[in-house]
Amino acid sequence: MHDPLLTLGFGIVTASILALSAVAFTLEYAVTNVANVSHGEILTVGAYAAYLVHRQTGSAIAAAVAAALAGGLVGLAMYASLIGPFIRFGATPTIVFIATLGMSFVIQNTLVIIFGAANVAYTLDPGAPHQLGPFLVTSLDEEIVGSAIAITLVLYLIISRSKFGKALRAVSQNRELARVTGINATRVAAATFFLAGLIAGYAGFVLAAFVGSFTPYFGFGFFLITLTAAVAGGLGRAVGTMAGAVIVGIILEVVPALPVPFIGGYVSASYNLAIAFAILTLVILLRPRGLFTNARRTVFE
Amino acid sequence: MTAYLVSITTEGAIFGIMALGLNVIWGWSGDFDLAYYGYIAVGAYMTLVLTIGPATPPAQYILGLQLPFPLAVVIAAVTAMAVSLVVGSIALRHLRGIYFSIVTLGAVYVMYVIAGQFVPLFDGYNGLSGLFDPMGDVLGLDYESYQYFFLGVSVVMFVLVFLFMWRVSRSRFGMALRTLREDERAAAAFGRDIYRLKLKGYILGAGLAGLAGGLFAAYLSAFNPSAWSPVEVIVLYSAVLVGGRGNIVGVVLGVLIMGVVVQESTRFLPQVPILGELNTLHPQVLLALRGAIIGLVLVLFLRFRPQGLLPERRYVDPPLPAIEAAPRTQSA
Amino acid sequence: MSQAAASPALEVRGLTKHFGGVYAVESCSFEAPAGQVTGLIGPNGAGKSTAIDLVSGFKLPDRGKVLFKGREIQGLSPHHISRLGLIRTFQAPREWPGLTVLENVVMAKWDASREGFFRGLIGDGRAKRDQSAAEMAKAREIIDEFGLGTLRNERAGNLSGGQKRLVEFARIRIAEPELVILDEPMGGVNPVLGERMAMAIEAFIATGTSVIVVEHNLPFIERVTQHVIVMAQGAVIAEGPFASLRSNPVVVDAYLGEMIRR
Repeated sequence: MHDPLLTLGFGIVTASILALSAVAFTLEYAVTNVANVSHGEILTVGAYAAYLVHRQTGSAIAAAVAAALAGGLVGLAMYASLIGPFIRFGATPTIVFIATLGMSFVIQNTLVIIFGAANVAYTLDPGAPHQLGPFLVTSLDEEIVGSAIAITLVLYLIISRSKFGKALRAVSQNRELARVTGINATRVAAATFFLAGLIAGYAGFVLAAFVGSFTPYFGFGFFLITLTAAVAGGLGRAVGTMAGAVIVGIILEVVPALPVPFIGGYVSASYNLAIAFAILTLVILLRPRGLFTNARRTVFE
Repeated sequence: MTAYLVSITTEGAIFGIMALGLNVIWGWSGDFDLAYYGYIAVGAYMTLVLTIGPATPPAQYILGLQLPFPLAVVIAAVTAMAVSLVVGSIALRHLRGIYFSIVTLGAVYVMYVIAGQFVPLFDGYNGLSGLFDPMGDVLGLDYESYQYFFLGVSVVMFVLVFLFMWRVSRSRFGMALRTLREDERAAAAFGRDIYRLKLKGYILGAGLAGLAGGLFAAYLSAFNPSAWSPVEVIVLYSAVLVGGRGNIVGVVLGVLIMGVVVQESTRFLPQVPILGELNTLHPQVLLALRGAIIGLVLVLFLRFRPQGLLPERRYVDPPLPAIEAAPRTQSA
Repeated sequence: MSQAAASPALEVRGLTKHFGGVYAVESCSFEAPAGQVTGLIGPNGAGKSTAIDLVSGFKLPDRGKVLFKGREIQGLSPHHISRLGLIRTFQAPREWPGLTVLENVVMAKWDASREGFFRGLIGDGRAKRDQSAAEMAKAREIIDEFGLGTLRNERAGNLSGGQKRLVEFARIRIAEPELVILDEPMGGVNPVLGERMAMAIEAFIATGTSVIVVEHNLPFIERVTQHVIVMAQGAVIAEGPFASLRSNPVVVDAYLGEMIRR
């Protein structure tokens, strides 16, 4: 893993998956002001759905669709059963945060009950590697990055052009004001969670295929990195999130490969998360509104 | 049966100390600190490396001394406080609410990863073991009596910590912490150095965590990343929430309740027909079910009784004849 | 009331603060005489609240000086300034809702010797206990004075807006600062309470606390102040006794919303 371009290539694929997960998380945050700690579980459910469907049908496409749908339904259920009711009853952001943490725990354990805790191997044939410009990529890599770009474009069109997108933007900026203009904020939020779930479910499928295996806990681990990307990009701002994801994704691949004594050599995946958190802490401390705004303040401003 | 009771009570006393420490940070200062279990782990690990003697290869770990148990626990608690000083000085400076929680989550995760992966520190995933019956041989106790002895030690420590917390809760320091939780700006306007005060509370809580961690290590006679599992963590936080944050009797009640929930669900669940079968298929299932139940209890309490069972006690001034006899009517 | 030659309670010189290109406060300078009630008025957006935040340490100025008791306090943290004897209130009443009224008042007085870490652990010695008891008695007295005696064990968060304001005043009374800055104390309060508040402010002066009042309620300003400072667009545009300002064309213009070119 010493070829910088190879590493960069890996970084871009990771960043694409991360971007999907992060933008979905950002949508959830934008429309409810809640950091959904069980967001990672949407990916996990997507992975399981894809695996089951793929086993039955042998079709990767069917698996992808199943993953997205399962994710969408789970996202919707999360909003309808927990996040929505908590907001309506006036819980503070921290209380809802803890509640989503509890929900995450419940979902992970439920998956263990249904599927067991063991690693599930999931591989898609990556295709032979070939040159693409300076990078060495497989067709799987291309599909991942390509689909991420496509989904992002579609999402951008939805948000900027459609009526729903307008409503979404209104609710994310000012819930009360949106209500006053006749927008059903709850419906918009529910639909947004469904949409975010579609994306996150698909991301779960892709991540599982890319890594090659998954467990009921793998979504939560990825969530921590997702959170880093989302915060780095500025919570609630989709464009910044994407940029944040790219930066974080690349850093995560590059840093472990650096010839630095403590980190060099074979580094287990867990260190990745530690690095992600170090980044996250730095961002929160120095640039709390994200890397792309210039906000500094006393503790009261 | 009695051995079971002794074991449960010992564990309960230790968890009680943990809950009381968490109460200082979460209940009184009002910060949802996810790094707390890390300080418990520091306490446990440090106690072990200070008592189990030098490492025999291939195991490796730092220090490896053989200090008397009480001294080791004190040093371990101080170490936990030092670590909390580092984390707290970063996290408490500017961060509140979920940002604070996220950064502390990051901190505990980093601690977890370093403890579990960086082998030279605490032998990585294997962890440390070998702390058998500390102080037992000095006192010449056999196995049976030792269990009672350690139960006594744990309960005495718990009672001391409880009395100490009772005093702190009524002191101006304890009340000052609560003013920070209620309204920081007002607290600053009335002279409270928010950062310093929160940091002091944070370190105090971490010290108790370290102490409990040392006792926990002796109770388990070992400590490793799997003793540090999400379930343990969630049970602790749920106990504080369910019992009543800010109320020291409440959090102890919470420990009792969550302890009972945990124990009883593990006991009766295998007897439910379908689950018994599942248990043989995937042994994890019962643990997972227990975990799911605990998570559910947590969420239900957050929704329907976020203040917990016992609300925080406020100082109630006894009725004064002059004031109570002739109430002033006032329009406002 | 003769103006003593004593140094002012507060001196502000050239205070400036901008947010993202907009100047909230620009070269603001004024003096608040000691032993008097000084009003700070001006149309919305004049920068009054920002000026208060800057003076009390809740915001950092870009430029300028604030002198209190002869020392420069700009840039100090809020609690430091408070300990020097300058206490401020906020536009919304900021009580400690989960604590009782009595606890709110007792805790308003910061006491280094009894709030330290070790004090809390070890507990108070005899001398400190007596001091605590004395203070508790004083707190009860003050609460009673403000007519809140029967509410002293009530959770402060359950009180009405007007009652919360009275608790704030009680807190200020027990803290005995040299200067108190009241940020829109009449906001959200039944006008009937106005006279009681005016009397409380006069009591502050009588006990040696100078007062600055930021208010939109002009009759109230007229009632309590001896000296008034008018701000508009981030700077001081006029000062003097209230009566003189009423006919001041500059002030009238500012309130009618016409832009003042300086």
